[in-house]
Amino acid sequence: MEELEVKLSELLDETAIDLEMDVQSKHEAIERLTDLLVFNGVIESKATFLEDVYEREAQGLTGIGNGIAIPHGKSAGVQKTSIAIGRSKNGLEWETLDEEPVQTIILFAVKESDKNNFHLKLLAKIAGALADEEVCHQVKNAGSVEEIIRALQEEK
Amino acid sequence: MKIVGVAACTAGIAHTYLAKEKLVKAAQEAGHIVKIETQGTIGTEDELTAKEITDADVVIIAADISISGRERFKDKKVIQIPTHIAMKSPKALVKKIEAELNAASE
Repeated sequence: MEELEVKLSELLDETAIDLEMDVQSKHEAIERLTDLLVFNGVIESKATFLEDVYEREAQGLTGIGNGIAIPHGKSAGVQKTSIAIGRSKNGLEWETLDEEPVQTIILFAVKESDKNNFHLKLLAKIAGALADEEVCHQVKNAGSVEEIIRALQEEK
Repeated sequence: MKIVGVAACTAGIAHTYLAKEKLVKAAQEAGHIVKIETQGTIGTEDELTAKEITDADVVIIAADISISGRERFKDKKVIQIPTHIAMKSPKALVKKIEAELNAASE
């Protein structure tokens, strides 16, 4: 597990974190985070990726409560499995477990043919970490990129 | 109480693991022994052993898809729910299971 700890940087580039997103809707938020990953070169087809994300959205809610959502797409449009994180000042309307608006979005972009168990295990670990109320609280209230990364890496 | 279970979702990327952790935390907080197998994109992890299944009082299947190895639980009391129930109200779920098992043993 320790090895997983230090390797979050393999999935998450700090430039793919925007804690002051100026967006008005779920769609704008997903698009904004996708753009960050396109800019970083890890998504090569924005259209294909968005299609796969919305296909997943249609299958069930990705708002996990506490103002956090984890939209995700496994897609041929993804070049390298990655994460983008955004926070919106406005509460966004989203399909959520607690029916509250979403402020913090953690977008998982998974390469379709990814056989790299390490990446997928890391994603699984992050998803699992979000089962912890304390982690959610820290992610929600993190004031800086460093704080949010620390919160997601914390071993509970 | 000994609880075993399986978590699996459509994409097999996130909800499987979130549901698992929620169930484990809720069960442990209530003082139960719990092990949840995950069937995700990575494949099966924390696979349940035959003994763990035999010893279990109840099986929770938190899944949005059909799971593999369901026949392992054919003689067990199985509670099947979608993953979002495990994610949304794991504590209430554990309480409900406790109540059901108590009622059955009386």
